[in-house]
Amino acid sequence: MKPTFKIVTNNPLVVRELTGQYTVEFVDGTYHDVLVALRDQIHKGHRLYSHPLSGSVKPNETPYKSVLISIKPQSLDMDSVEMIENSIVTCDKFPVKFPHMPDSMREDFQVIDATLLKGALSQILFE
Amino acid sequence: MAKIRVVHYINQFFANIGGEEKADIKPELREGVVGPGAAFNQAFGDEAEIVATVICGDSYFNENLEEAKKTVIDMVKSQNADMFLAGPAFNAGRYGVACGTIADAVKKELGIPVLTGMYVENPGADMFKNSVYIVATKNSAAGMRDAVKKMAPLALKLAKGEKIGASAEEGYMPNGVRKNFFDTKRGSARAIDMLLKKLAGKEFVTEFPMPDFDRVAPNPAVKDIAHATIALVTSGGIVPKGNPDHIESSSASKYGKYDIEGVMDLTADTYETAHGGYDPVYANEDADRVLPVDILREYEKEGKIGKLHRYFYTTVGNGTAVKSAKGFADEFSKELKDANVDAVILTST
Amino acid sequence: MRKLEVGYIDIHDIQFSNESKVENGVLFVDKEAIKKIVLEDENIKSCEVEIARPGESVRITPVKDVIEPRCKVEGQGGIFPGVISKVTTVGTGRTHALRGSAVVTTGKIVGFQEGIIDMTGEGAKYTPFSKTVNLVLVMNPIDGLKQHEHEYANRMAGLRVAAYLGELGKSVEPNEVVSYETYGVKEGMEKYPNLPRVGYVQMLQSQGLMHDTYVYGVDAKKIVPTIINPTEVMDGAILSGNCVSSCDKNPTYIHMNNPVVHDLFAQHGKTINFVGMIITNENVYLADKERSSNWTAELCEYLDLDGAIVSQEGFGNPDTDLIMNCKKISAKGIKTVIITDEYAGRDGTSQSLADADPSADAVVTGGNANELITLPKLDKVIGDLSPIDKIAGGFENNVLEDGTILVELQAITGATSEVGFNCLSAR
Repeated sequence: MKPTFKIVTNNPLVVRELTGQYTVEFVDGTYHDVLVALRDQIHKGHRLYSHPLSGSVKPNETPYKSVLISIKPQSLDMDSVEMIENSIVTCDKFPVKFPHMPDSMREDFQVIDATLLKGALSQILFE
Repeated sequence: MAKIRVVHYINQFFANIGGEEKADIKPELREGVVGPGAAFNQAFGDEAEIVATVICGDSYFNENLEEAKKTVIDMVKSQNADMFLAGPAFNAGRYGVACGTIADAVKKELGIPVLTGMYVENPGADMFKNSVYIVATKNSAAGMRDAVKKMAPLALKLAKGEKIGASAEEGYMPNGVRKNFFDTKRGSARAIDMLLKKLAGKEFVTEFPMPDFDRVAPNPAVKDIAHATIALVTSGGIVPKGNPDHIESSSASKYGKYDIEGVMDLTADTYETAHGGYDPVYANEDADRVLPVDILREYEKEGKIGKLHRYFYTTVGNGTAVKSAKGFADEFSKELKDANVDAVILTST
Repeated sequence: MRKLEVGYIDIHDIQFSNESKVENGVLFVDKEAIKKIVLEDENIKSCEVEIARPGESVRITPVKDVIEPRCKVEGQGGIFPGVISKVTTVGTGRTHALRGSAVVTTGKIVGFQEGIIDMTGEGAKYTPFSKTVNLVLVMNPIDGLKQHEHEYANRMAGLRVAAYLGELGKSVEPNEVVSYETYGVKEGMEKYPNLPRVGYVQMLQSQGLMHDTYVYGVDAKKIVPTIINPTEVMDGAILSGNCVSSCDKNPTYIHMNNPVVHDLFAQHGKTINFVGMIITNENVYLADKERSSNWTAELCEYLDLDGAIVSQEGFGNPDTDLIMNCKKISAKGIKTVIITDEYAGRDGTSQSLADADPSADAVVTGGNANELITLPKLDKVIGDLSPIDKIAGGFENNVLEDGTILVELQAITGATSEVGFNCLSAR
C-alpha cells in the first residue's frame, strides 16, 4: 500500500536517506520556513501527521525540521491549523542560537531531526 | 542620603473635600501629605517622604483628560519628584482609571517610577496593569492599612531602582511579564495543595493563567447563500475619509455604523483606516483590502449572494478591551438581527 | 496491600580509597573498580572519575544523567529492572538508598551539549544536584562511535556504577526507614471510604534519540498508557535516556525520587487516597498522542479517580500531550492539576506554552526556562567547558571577559523540573 503521507523537510540527511522510500518535499530554508510551508499546505486541506515542534532541542537552536503531512488535501482540519499556528508563534520566540555552526554540529542536528522523524515513521501502522 | 521625594495623587474624596458633588474640582497642588499620604509617610520611615499631594476630582480628570494630564504632570515636575504614587483607588472606578492614566502618563513623560493600587475588578486595573505596577488592594477603603503595607515597600524598591521580584512576592497584579522566584514549597507539594483545594471546591490560584479564551461555536452554514443578506463588520478600522466619529486609533471606546448604499468600491478618496499599530498604507490605498465591498458588490450582481447589507459596522481592534468589543457587538448584533441579516463577514487588519 | 520499605543511608561525603565501602556516612570509592566497571563496555575508550561536593568551586558539564545509588535488600527483583537486573516486577520488600549522593555522567555525545551543575554560586541555587555529593564519570568513546551507541554506552555505564555503589549500602543500618504502602482497588476503598481518590499521571519523554525513557527496559515510545505501582519507580523501574532540555528533563535520580509520588504518599491516608500512578508517553506521531491521551483518561476513569496530577517532561511537542491529557481527564469530571514549566522568552513576555485550553485552570509552573542567569567563574571544571556556548540555554560568546557565563536557565540541570522537584516558580 502506498503511504498517504509525505515528508516536508529542510534536512538534507532526510532527503538523502528517505527519498525513494517516501515522498520527500525539500524546503530550502530555515526551521520557520518549513513551518510556513506546512501552514500553506494545511490551509489547503493537508493534515498534520506528526508534531511540528518535535524534539526538545529548541526551534532555531536546531536549524532542521522534518514533519509528516498528508499527501492529499482533504477538508480543512482545524486541529492541524491550530497546531501549526501555535508552532509558528512558538518557533518565532526563539532567536537563532548558533549563527556560525560548525559542520560537525550541523550533522548532529541533522541526525537528531532524522531520528525524531523515523520515530514517528516507525509508529505509523496505517493511515 | 537625602530622602526620596514622592508626589502623591488622590481624588477629592480622599482629600476630604467631598463626594460626587465635588468630583469636578480641578487639579490642585498642596505641600506635604493629605489624607492617606500620612500612612505612607509613616511606612516610608527615613527613606522617603511625600513632598506634595495633587488632588483632582474624578469627573474633572476623566472629562478633561488631556488638560488634566498636562496640569498634573507639570505639578509633579515642579516638585522634582523621584517617585509618583497614585491612590490607592480600591473599587472606585473613575478614580482607578484616573490613577492608572496619570501614573502611566507620568512614567512616560517624566521617566520616574510610578505606583498605584486598586481592587482587581476596578476597570483601571485591566486598562493599566500591563503598563504600570498596580498593587492589588481590597475593594473598599477599609483595606487602606493593608494597601499601604504592600505599596510602601514596593514604592521604595521602585524609587531606588532595585530589582523587582515576581508579582506573587511583591504584591502587584500580574502584568504579563513572567518572572521566576523561589516559592516556599516545592512544585509537587504546591500541586497537591492546589488539587486538595480544587477537590474541596475551594478557591485556588493557578500559577500560570491560560491565555483568555472566548471561543464561539460556529453557527450552521447558511443554507441559501444566493438569497442571503450579508453584512460586513470589521475591527480593521475602515471609516469614511476623515474619520467623522473620531474612532480612536487604539483602545477604541466606540464603533461606527456607516451607510454604503450605492457604494460600489471603496477608494483612497472616500475611505481610510483609523487603525493604529500597523502600516496603514495598503488599507488607505484601497480600503476594500480590509472591508471587501467591491467583491461583495460583484457577487451581488452575479447573484452569488442575495444582497450586501446597507450598513457596515467598524471599530479599531488595536488594544481595545475585550469587554468594550463585546459591548459594541451586543449592541449592533441586535440591529443586524432586526434588519434580518442572514450572515456577517468579520474582517480584521 | 503492597509495601516497600526504603532505608535511607545519609551520605555526607565521598572519598577515594583502596576499598569501596560505606562507613559513618562516608562513601569510600575505589576509583579503579569504578573505571573497570565503566570500561566493561568496549565502546568507551577512557574514563575519569571525579568527586564534586556541595560548596566546592566546581562546575560539571555537559551532564547526561544523574543517578542515586540504591540496592534491593529484600523482596523480589533487583535495582533498575529490565536493564541491570532481570525484568522481575519490583516495588516491594526493602530497598536501601545512599541518600545525599549521586552518580553523574558526562560526555560529549553531540556537538551541542546539555546540562550544567554548579556546586556553588548562583547556578547552585537552581540545580538540585548542588546539594548532593557527586561521583562524576567523565567518559570518552572510541573514535567514530555513532551518537546512538554513544548515548547507550554512557547511560549504561552510569547505571552499572550506581548499582555497584548501591550494593555497598546493603548491610548498612539506615538513618531512616520509610514505609510506602499501596492498596488494591477494593482494599483501598474499604480502608479510606471517605478520602478523595487521587492518581498521578506521569508523562514520559519519548520522542527519539536522546529523548527517550525506559520502563523496565522498554522504550516508552512503544508503550501504551499503563498503571504502575508508585513504589516501582523507587527501585528504578523508570530510567532516563533523555539528554536534551536539561532544565526540565527528569534524570534517573528524579524518577527514583519522584517528588509527586513522595508528596502524594505523605498525604496518603490523611487527606487523600493515593490510588496509583499512570504512565504515558509524548510521541511525535499525532495518532499516538490521540491514542495515549484517550487511554490515559480512560484509565483515570477506570480507577474511579476524583483528582489527578499530571506532570510533563520537555517542551513544545509535549505541551500538546499535556493539554490533551488535561482536557480529556477533566472531561471525565476528574479534578486535574498540571505541572509544567515555561518558555516565556528572556524578557518573560512571550506566550509560555505551545498549547493551551481553558480546562487547564490549575497549573503549577517550574519557572521560565528562558530567564537569564549569570554564573561565576569557578576554579574547576569537570567534563568540558568548551561546549558551554553550545549548550541549550547558552549562546555564542556567552563567556564574558571576567570568566562569568551568561546562560538561560535551560542550561542548568533540573532547574525547572516539571515534576515539581524544586521551589522555583514564576508569576
